[in-house]
Amino acid sequence: MNGLSKAKKRYEEIEIPPELSDVITHSIAQSKQLAKKPFNWKPFTLGIVASASLFIGGLNVSPAFAQSMAGVPGLGKVIDIFTIHEITFEENNYQADLKAPGIEGLSDKTLQNGLNEKYIEESKELFAEFQKEMATMKESGGGHLGITSGYDVVSETNQLLSIRRYVVETQASAYETVQYDTIDKVNELFITLPSLFKDDKYIEVINTYLMAVMERKMAEDANISYFINEGNDWDFKSISANQDFYITNENQLVISFDEYEIAPGYMGVVTFEIPTEILKPYLVDNMYIK
Amino acid sequence: MTKKEKYKLVEKFIIANQQAHYRLAFSYVKNKENALDIIQDSVMKALRSIDKLDEIDYLKTWFYRILVNTALDFIKRHNKMTVMDDQILEFHLPAKTDAIQEFDLYRAIDHLTIPQKSVIILRYFEDLKIEEIATVLNENVNTIKTRLYAALKKLRIELKEEEFNL
Repeated sequence: MNGLSKAKKRYEEIEIPPELSDVITHSIAQSKQLAKKPFNWKPFTLGIVASASLFIGGLNVSPAFAQSMAGVPGLGKVIDIFTIHEITFEENNYQADLKAPGIEGLSDKTLQNGLNEKYIEESKELFAEFQKEMATMKESGGGHLGITSGYDVVSETNQLLSIRRYVVETQASAYETVQYDTIDKVNELFITLPSLFKDDKYIEVINTYLMAVMERKMAEDANISYFINEGNDWDFKSISANQDFYITNENQLVISFDEYEIAPGYMGVVTFEIPTEILKPYLVDNMYIK
Repeated sequence: MTKKEKYKLVEKFIIANQQAHYRLAFSYVKNKENALDIIQDSVMKALRSIDKLDEIDYLKTWFYRILVNTALDFIKRHNKMTVMDDQILEFHLPAKTDAIQEFDLYRAIDHLTIPQKSVIILRYFEDLKIEEIATVLNENVNTIKTRLYAALKKLRIELKEEEFNL
């Protein structure tokens, strides 16, 4: 078996790149990160759906009335988003720059403070994890680790505000996760995905739509790929009831998936706009999604 | 075994065998960046589907299956074969007796079909048993034996019965 053992020797001599151990450590850390994505915090206002009527501080607000208020020029509420908290850390191979957003301008201080505290808390947790990972890496011979977190306003109308918060972790390569918080500025409500719909039938409707879109895109473009119909356990089967989402300036619903959630890493963060017409029968009302 | 313990075991396995895994990925794509990409995707997939690993004894074949599938996916997506034109030509010329001695088996393996290449690498470089290869590639044992025999024939390897080691 001379030929094969010589070939085996050549195989065993395949050069191992120095980056390999970094890639391994990074991938393991990434999958841990993906596993413990923070659950969408539900403030006590959850459950108050923008349905028949709302009672806010003496003002009886019906959906139609709230809409007309939003349409009046000058009555759009001014909400400020600013950096409420920043953590920076700089060492030879380890950097962290974490910015937490703060909201100012809501009259519902419980809601406002609740959100601001959540953002600061998550920033601190992120930094604590960074320090832990840094310690582990130093113990096993070092490496390079960078974490950046920030935010931007992904959409804002007179009625709605969607803030996007992203975390980018860099070791051998970059890995991004995002979260969105959508607020009804007028009624001062924190909007969750389930609260937009009458019941949970929206999940199946959105799943069907997404599967069709993904299949079409993959058929049209060989460079696009999603984890669907491969017979693997990690294939996309359903969004979660609290899937990441935001509402655009044109009042369209957008569903978002982190890197690796439903597609290989090179696809990055993946978003899909859902046509309102397929959601209409399931929406509570047409206040937010039109 | 708790899920946490399973997870730790898989993690240790991945770290301990990373070089062998890299070599396997590399032999499919012959490119460092692509091989690292495949490794990254495979590790992520494996750690995210720990629930599907029933018997911890089957850890190796379970991971190899994920690795091979990810590599095959990559090739499908990029639609590239790792062959060079002059080597194909050389391969198809009538073999002379002395030429066989110099025959570069290692490069010849790249000229096999991907399924054949998989069984050769897994059997002779990764030392998997036929049953294990069948599990990794999701085929039955007889298919693997036939494929292996065809691959060896194509590589013009003459083996004595004992060496075949089925």
